[in-house]
Amino acid sequence: MDRDIGKPLFDIFLLVASGIGFYYATTLPSITSAGGITPAFFPKLLSGLIFVCAVPCFIRDSLEWLSQRRERDYEAQNVRSDGPKSAVAQWLFIMALIIGYAIIFERLGYLVSTSLFCFLSVLGMVMLSGEFSGMSAVNKLKSGLGYLAFSIILSSSIFFVFTALFNIPLPN
Amino acid sequence: MLAGYIEGLSMVFQLGTLLAIAGGTLLGIIMGVLPGLTSAMAIALLLPVTFGMPPVMGIGMLLGALCGAGVSGSIPAILLNIPGTPSSVATTFDGYPMAQRGEAGRALGLAIVASFSGGVASMVILSLLAPPIAEFALRFGAAEYFSLSIFGLVIIASVAGKSLLKGLIAGFIGFFASTIGTDPIAGVDRFTFGQLSLLTGINILPALIGLFAISQILKNAFEYDPAEKLTAGKHKIDLARPRFVETFRNWRALLAGIGSGSVVGPVPGAGGSIASLVAYDQARRFSKNPEKFGSGHSAGIVSVESANNALLGGALIPTLALGIPGEAATAVLLGGLMIQGITPGPMLFADQSGTIYGIFLAYLVANFAMLLIMCLGIKVFVKVLMVPRKQLLAAIVVFCFIGVYAVDGDVFNIYLMLAFGVLGYFLNRYGFGTAPVILGLILGPIAESNLRRGLQTFQGDWTPFFTRPLSATFLLIALLLLAVTLWQNYRAYKKDLEEIKSA
Amino acid sequence: MKKLIVSIAATFAVVAATSAMAEYPDKNIEVIVPFSAGGGNDTFVRALQPLLEEKLDTDIVVRNIAGGGGAVGLSRAVASDPDGYTLAAASNALQTLEAMGNVAFTSEDFDFVAKVLEEPYVVAVGSDSEFETLESMVTAAQNGQSVQVGVSGVGSSAHIAAVAFSDAADVEFNIIPYPGGSETISAAMGGHVDAVVLGGAELRSPLQSGRLKALGMSYEERSDSLPDVPTFKEEGYDLSLTVWRGIAGPKGLPDNVKETWVSAIEEIMAEGSFQETADNLGLDIAPLYGDELDEFITTSAQIMREAAGDLAQ
Repeated sequence: MDRDIGKPLFDIFLLVASGIGFYYATTLPSITSAGGITPAFFPKLLSGLIFVCAVPCFIRDSLEWLSQRRERDYEAQNVRSDGPKSAVAQWLFIMALIIGYAIIFERLGYLVSTSLFCFLSVLGMVMLSGEFSGMSAVNKLKSGLGYLAFSIILSSSIFFVFTALFNIPLPN
Repeated sequence: MLAGYIEGLSMVFQLGTLLAIAGGTLLGIIMGVLPGLTSAMAIALLLPVTFGMPPVMGIGMLLGALCGAGVSGSIPAILLNIPGTPSSVATTFDGYPMAQRGEAGRALGLAIVASFSGGVASMVILSLLAPPIAEFALRFGAAEYFSLSIFGLVIIASVAGKSLLKGLIAGFIGFFASTIGTDPIAGVDRFTFGQLSLLTGINILPALIGLFAISQILKNAFEYDPAEKLTAGKHKIDLARPRFVETFRNWRALLAGIGSGSVVGPVPGAGGSIASLVAYDQARRFSKNPEKFGSGHSAGIVSVESANNALLGGALIPTLALGIPGEAATAVLLGGLMIQGITPGPMLFADQSGTIYGIFLAYLVANFAMLLIMCLGIKVFVKVLMVPRKQLLAAIVVFCFIGVYAVDGDVFNIYLMLAFGVLGYFLNRYGFGTAPVILGLILGPIAESNLRRGLQTFQGDWTPFFTRPLSATFLLIALLLLAVTLWQNYRAYKKDLEEIKSA
Repeated sequence: MKKLIVSIAATFAVVAATSAMAEYPDKNIEVIVPFSAGGGNDTFVRALQPLLEEKLDTDIVVRNIAGGGGAVGLSRAVASDPDGYTLAAASNALQTLEAMGNVAFTSEDFDFVAKVLEEPYVVAVGSDSEFETLESMVTAAQNGQSVQVGVSGVGSSAHIAAVAFSDAADVEFNIIPYPGGSETISAAMGGHVDAVVLGGAELRSPLQSGRLKALGMSYEERSDSLPDVPTFKEEGYDLSLTVWRGIAGPKGLPDNVKETWVSAIEEIMAEGSFQETADNLGLDIAPLYGDELDEFITTSAQIMREAAGDLAQ
């Protein structure tokens, strides 16, 4: 990608977060022990260091963004940043689904929440990525049922292995 | 001693004992594959089973679990870029790129043989040198721990991406996160905001799984493209066999791994998680072509995996010779030993009954069992890559949830994992990297608490940190490594500039 | 249709009523261990688990809910239904948390079923230490020497015990918290601290091998597991404390639940098969039930609170 506003934005996030961290560190009780290092010393030092290091990063990244230069960073070459068109939607969908899974994990119990999560995530990815378009209604139904079977079989077989074989209790 | 070994042999080479060891190894391998579940968990689960067994049989089973979990963490690290334990973080550096090239089987083959060699070598070291090494480990006081952690933190520069500055930021983030929780010396709550689960600080495992697994899931979701089908042909299954020759050709890396595993492993409370990173760092520094590391280089895998199993033998040294377990897994093992009526300590080594030799041999057998099971399983493991991406994605999330939940049974850790997952995603995307965060998280508390503990012990005097010989040595090495890294970084930067100019 | 619903409802009501009246236990019992798998508390429960399953004739599910030094798991135990199907492995950690003021519950919120095991707090020094007795150690501190005492964990029960001992001896030690028992022991073996205060089980192997020597311990009377070690009281320091492990549940446990458990534990103790396990772990079997147990809890909570108050200052 040529212009990724996210890069300088993330630097700004680091600057703000380290500032907040530093502020909270100053509110810690100052118990001075031998050697003069208080509980707040390291949090202050580290948030300060993050701030100081993030400033040149921010300057460099924003200049890069402004000059629209092509990404040279080798890490970024490993990260295929120009995903398919629906990439952002897919990312947000999975993120939301995982958070939802965490919320219902203990409330609905392992089996229900896991089957639900597996089914929805597979179905959602298929719909968002356009894998379903151009498929006949019968085929859609068929693969949908296949996903449902996959979800239920996966979650119940894991449940059996953990509770019956390993004796590790899962939420129910 | 010979009589002891013969006595030990007769204890180990019984069908029941051999089966118990193999069973323990298998369970360890299964647990190690699942993110979050560790060898400590495997041993704890097996503990009640061993109560009724004779000592060598029971301990052999537990050692099998230790050994199995030690190697199988490399499987998800290589195939999916997801390290299940802190010690397999470095396996992802070269294992995953190699798997991406379609050579997952080769990477696994290297990992298996390297682990096996590391395990056998550490068994030999353990049986010959345990008491003196244990005495050496006792010389580590607060000053030495502090200097050791500084030495470890310098590795951040080595695992950082191209931008040293961004790697440092990532390391500082991890270090800062490690200060959350009850202050280790004064007992003050720091940044807990009334959350009980944070009182004892951020758990390494949810953070690790978030930073590596969840961030990887998010990345895969972002890139998911049904048009790009993973074809079976891309993965060369026939490559999947143990790689003895290639492993031993990388003898430098193998020695670096065994060396750092056996030296760092015995230091209680510090060794386990960083031994493999130290090995990777050292293997790269002494390699003829360090630039190949990180791009799927076989020496990278060999160094990390040999260290991973060598450190287990290393961690057994203080456990058996002094009764001091280095970390969670050996702590549970110690419980198992004591329930069996075996009291660890120097007397165990002087004991003529052969029990200790039986334990050594059982550990050796466990390594062979591991080799056998892994060799049989290697072709199956590689098939994981042929599971359709969307189903694999869902399954990995489920395993992450269970792994994090099973360890502490606390949903808070799941939210913690998610937070670290989002953080890790952006850190990777914008070139900061996630490995430094884990290093900071692990080494941060060692550095901080030992600095302050040392100052309290020396009553405010700073000089012992520089005058105690061991401590001074570590600081000096750390300084030298830092200077070398900065110099290499500077040269690479200049070379880069020239390339741009000429382009 | 209506008939059907009524009859189904009636069936359910009957089932529910019989299950309430049925013998306890009629389903799996969950025991919350508020620490990760492998800790002292976990080993205690897992060692008892097969014996208890036999006596109670049901499965016992050990659920590790760790975090916050036991705070997370114990909070969950307090909040659960007092029906006897959710119990917790209780120990000093409960009182320590209460005394340090980190948690919302107190020991009043629990119903204690049984105390099973005990170990003393032991003051130990390196084998080549200058201190031969507790008195010499206390005198050195009185004379202004900095006596470094290692404990396992800031705000841990061992930390509180160390403070309680220095209060009883009326001296100031330089108390240095380590992350855990093994780090503390290795510091003492390596001569990085002068002495340690730790539970007897953790010290069992270094004491047996002679790498550390015990100067005193916190029981009321001498124990069989450490016959040569004098008590604090013998040495003239008025302090008696124990590290205990037992079973507790949320307040309001039915009487039959308590009775079932007490008789099961009594039977196990009488059979003696547990004795060997406890011996090997360096723990003393010291069962206590009912009113005596409640009294014991109150007294020890009181001592912990006082010492913790000094620690917080």
